[in-house]
Amino acid sequence: MADTLHAYRHVQGIYFPIAIGVFAVIIAALLVLLVRGARRSRPAAARSQALAFEVAYALLLTGVVAVLLWVTFTAETPLDRTAAHPALQIKVTAAQWSWRIEYPNGATVTAVSTWHPPVALVPTGVEVEIVGTSRDVIHGFWLPQLHFQRQFLPGYVTRFDLRFDTAGLYDGECSVFCGDQHSQMHFQLRAVSPAMFQQWLFSHASRTGTAR
Amino acid sequence: MNTTTLPVRAAPLRTLASTDHKRIAIAAGAVAFAFFLAGGVLALLMRSQLAADGGVVSQNVYDELFTMHGSTMVYLFMVPVALAAGLYFVPLQVGAAEVAGPRVALAGLWLLVGGGLSMWSGFLTSGGAAAASWWGFDPLSDSLHSPGSGMELWIFGVMMATAGQILWAGCVLATALRRRAPGMTLMRMPVFTWSMLVTCLLTVFAFPALILALALLWAQRHFGGVLTGGLGAVNYQQLFWFYGHPVVYVMFFPFVGMVGEVVATFSGRRFFGYSAFIVALLAFAGLSMTVWAHHMFTMGQVTNKYFSLTSTALVVPAGIEYLDLLGTLWRGRLRFTTAFLFALAFIVQFLIGGLTGIIVASPPLDYGLNMSYFVVAHFHYTLFAGSAFGLFAGVYYWFPKLTGALLSERLGRLHFILIAIGANATFFPMFILGSEGMTRRIARYPVSTGWQTLNVVETVGTGVIALSVLLFIVNVVVSLRSRREAGDDPWGGQTLEWATSSPPPRHNFTRLPPIASYAPLLDLREAREGANA
Repeated sequence: MADTLHAYRHVQGIYFPIAIGVFAVIIAALLVLLVRGARRSRPAAARSQALAFEVAYALLLTGVVAVLLWVTFTAETPLDRTAAHPALQIKVTAAQWSWRIEYPNGATVTAVSTWHPPVALVPTGVEVEIVGTSRDVIHGFWLPQLHFQRQFLPGYVTRFDLRFDTAGLYDGECSVFCGDQHSQMHFQLRAVSPAMFQQWLFSHASRTGTAR
Repeated sequence: MNTTTLPVRAAPLRTLASTDHKRIAIAAGAVAFAFFLAGGVLALLMRSQLAADGGVVSQNVYDELFTMHGSTMVYLFMVPVALAAGLYFVPLQVGAAEVAGPRVALAGLWLLVGGGLSMWSGFLTSGGAAAASWWGFDPLSDSLHSPGSGMELWIFGVMMATAGQILWAGCVLATALRRRAPGMTLMRMPVFTWSMLVTCLLTVFAFPALILALALLWAQRHFGGVLTGGLGAVNYQQLFWFYGHPVVYVMFFPFVGMVGEVVATFSGRRFFGYSAFIVALLAFAGLSMTVWAHHMFTMGQVTNKYFSLTSTALVVPAGIEYLDLLGTLWRGRLRFTTAFLFALAFIVQFLIGGLTGIIVASPPLDYGLNMSYFVVAHFHYTLFAGSAFGLFAGVYYWFPKLTGALLSERLGRLHFILIAIGANATFFPMFILGSEGMTRRIARYPVSTGWQTLNVVETVGTGVIALSVLLFIVNVVVSLRSRREAGDDPWGGQTLEWATSSPPPRHNFTRLPPIASYAPLLDLREAREGANA
């Protein structure tokens, strides 16, 4: 199950507190050293190395690295995999400077260089496979609310799964600098219930006609 | 001691043709600092644009601004100034009369000047300067998407500057390995010299990959068929980042070395954990050659877990270096000079850059943060709030050696306070904006995002940084005019550069003290105190 949002939150929930804790410990140690060092009138006798201590410390750090990697790897594996039978497959073609989103029945939504792109719908609670490519340079398909992005390369297909658990509007941006109108290369997805999605898809397909 | 060397203000022509490593290094430092000011002006323009809701420059001019800002700061400022510090101080710290290959080092200076002028002359062409980011990545940088001579001038400029840097690294490396004074074994070399040694190893091994990548890009632009399709783009980035990550450490190690020297001197004690620190540096350098594709996690074309493993493993050598820096403060008698304040700020602020680096080394987190302002904040905390603070620590520490005059401590402290406030006001909000979805390299953003307030804070911060840099220039000018003589050793230094006059004579030393450890001058002082007791 490629649940990008929960994978991010899970790893963040472990990494960020550790980072903040380490920062706090080092700052506290630094402050103690500074206050004591400022009071001293001459350097006190001190050893110039403590090899056994440093080796033990390096082993401790190695342990921390192992824990971090275990958290990262277990969270990453499902993100890099695509489901064998996704509920829906959407083709996304990026170009300077537009997004073209195409559904299996031929319905399309195209957003051309705008901050107010037309909304494309996706169903909630199921695996949606994105099949992405680019027509010219590298673009980045980024949904900040899902904490997920992938790059689309010219002449190459990028596949990944997304899951929208919460209904609502998802802003999308091009994350990879792609030239002049990179700032305006937005797209928008709205996650709705599968039933509403089917209804929309049918009516949208009939409106857009037989899309190319 | 004799001072046949002319002061820094010597005729520029003589400086530009000199084979004295000290003059070459000062000229290189001055050229790099001029590029730092130029790159800083571009940053001010970019920040004005983002605070003023995109109203200052057009979109394509903004693309030129951030491309040239990044290119200038990396290729023309941080790397050259790091290597220039090595060019000046490594021969002095190992007790050598000269750098190895002085004419080669001089060529490096000319390549830097030529390369910088080539890159910047893009602004004079009708199509403007290069605008494909400091990575110059294909296919955006090919002849179809980036036509015009600005891009060509950028390619040649970067190649020239990089070639010069490889030459410098070769000279400094050969000096440390082959020109050491009698008694100066490898394991008695000062911490800064060791940091330069690993820096030069990285430069020699990694920088040719950039020249190769740019040569391929040039061939692609003129003949095509070299970097084709999606995998051509991947191959360019493999080569680019094979350079592009080690270069980050080239812009880090020398400043850690400087901070190490400053911390030891102003703690009045021997550097703690010397041999562990050297082993950590070597391990750090070796590992840093294996992490490059963590810049490519979101491409889906590399083995993310391998690069995540190597990148996260950097925690071990980095942790040891931090332990040794803090250990050097332990039981010392601290003197809070300007140099020491900058070194402390380096330790605190680089830590923020380092810890957030571990965060983006985790692919599930990087998928959410890559290419956002979170990453911009991360690397500015390492490069500016970290390395540039380390550089200023080095400048305040070594300026008396370079010129024979002390910098004003009063102006120095003011400079420090302003730049510390400015740097944090500029770069900390970027963590928040990046997490909220602000992409890097955008010239404007929808007001509905609510990002403008923090962007205004950042821009004000940049203004404070600019003010502090002006204050630094005033300090240099004032201190050179109303000279307060520094003498040979104003700080109670521990390494050989303090055993000669300020500035040192043409061939550096008239006599050398005995060398029995990595802190020979401290040995002498301790022996004297022992005799008196």
